[in-house]
Amino acid sequence: MSELILQAMLYCLTFFAVVTLIRLLIGPTASDRLVALNVLAAVSLALLILWGVSTKRTLYLDVALVYDIFGFLGFLAITRFLKKGKEES
Amino acid sequence: MMIVREILALIAFVIGTAFGLVGMVGLFRFKDPYSRLHAGSLCGTTAVFSYLIALLLLSPSVASTLRMIILIVFFLISAPTGSSIVARFIWESEDAERQRSSMNREDKSL
Amino acid sequence: MNSRRTWALIRFGLTTLFLFVVWILFSADAGFFSLLFGFFISLLSASLTYHIFLPEHEANLRFFIPRPFSLIRFFILMVAALYASSFQVVKAVITGNTNPRIVHFRTRLRSDLARTILANAITFTPGTMTLDLNDDHLTVHWLLCSTTHAKAAGEAIKTRLEHALGRTWL
Repeated sequence: MSELILQAMLYCLTFFAVVTLIRLLIGPTASDRLVALNVLAAVSLALLILWGVSTKRTLYLDVALVYDIFGFLGFLAITRFLKKGKEES
Repeated sequence: MMIVREILALIAFVIGTAFGLVGMVGLFRFKDPYSRLHAGSLCGTTAVFSYLIALLLLSPSVASTLRMIILIVFFLISAPTGSSIVARFIWESEDAERQRSSMNREDKSL
Repeated sequence: MNSRRTWALIRFGLTTLFLFVVWILFSADAGFFSLLFGFFISLLSASLTYHIFLPEHEANLRFFIPRPFSLIRFFILMVAALYASSFQVVKAVITGNTNPRIVHFRTRLRSDLARTILANAITFTPGTMTLDLNDDHLTVHWLLCSTTHAKAAGEAIKTRLEHALGRTWL
């Protein structure tokens, strides 16, 4: 039962990630791509935790913790870079 | 005891999947970036939060349960931070867009 | 001068305590050497950063020490608000009629921490998104807008959360 739920969660999360990736690729403006990237970050965090629980190793949970804390720094860098590029052009 | 936890986890999983699927539909159905952000937070916040609760119920040992609780607390802090950075970016880029279009209009009137 | 120095000492102690608790949570190791090392590291970084971490002008302990039971109540309320507003956004996605607007309103919370947490809680629930927080003035993007009147919009979005937060901090 438990393994079945974990398997189903794995498939669902992969499906979400793939659909969000399509939005990321076809998004017409930079804002749309950033929205898709935001969703993708949360989904990949859930995937890391799922993997840590299903293999019963806490190492992946530590990785997920660090990813969770420093994930938004990447967003800050990307938005700063895009803003600067827009001002220069 | 285990079977009760599994049934609760199954309920949380079904709720999360339903919200996530609707969020995916909304991500393609809405037209402007703000509404897409709202639909995306339906998937990226509600679905992921439900999944985290399901995984908390299924966690195999005490050490991983404690880590999951810390993770959920940090998810509550970091998920809105990311969305608000994105929302702020959309707001400022729309402002720049509007200023540029109004400047173009003035140029034409001249 | 004396009360100012006492306040600085209290802030320094609180910062050290916070950093030490975070160290214990992250290292997940209760050995003697680990605890000693963590204590000295948190002492060092607290002495460098306490005036940024806890600003001097918030001269009240209730500004950053929460009441534990109110905090748990606020947490439960936030999860309930998350599911309720997700359900509304699901309805909006299926029927397709939305009314996105930007509304402005003020909050009556006084501490910076409580204001930040209120803005984060508003962003956390789908359907409302904080764009800007300037002192006590919030700019919020609202997907299912019913009114642009500042007081009514604020009442519809934040009243319950603000009430619970006001009991927790100040």
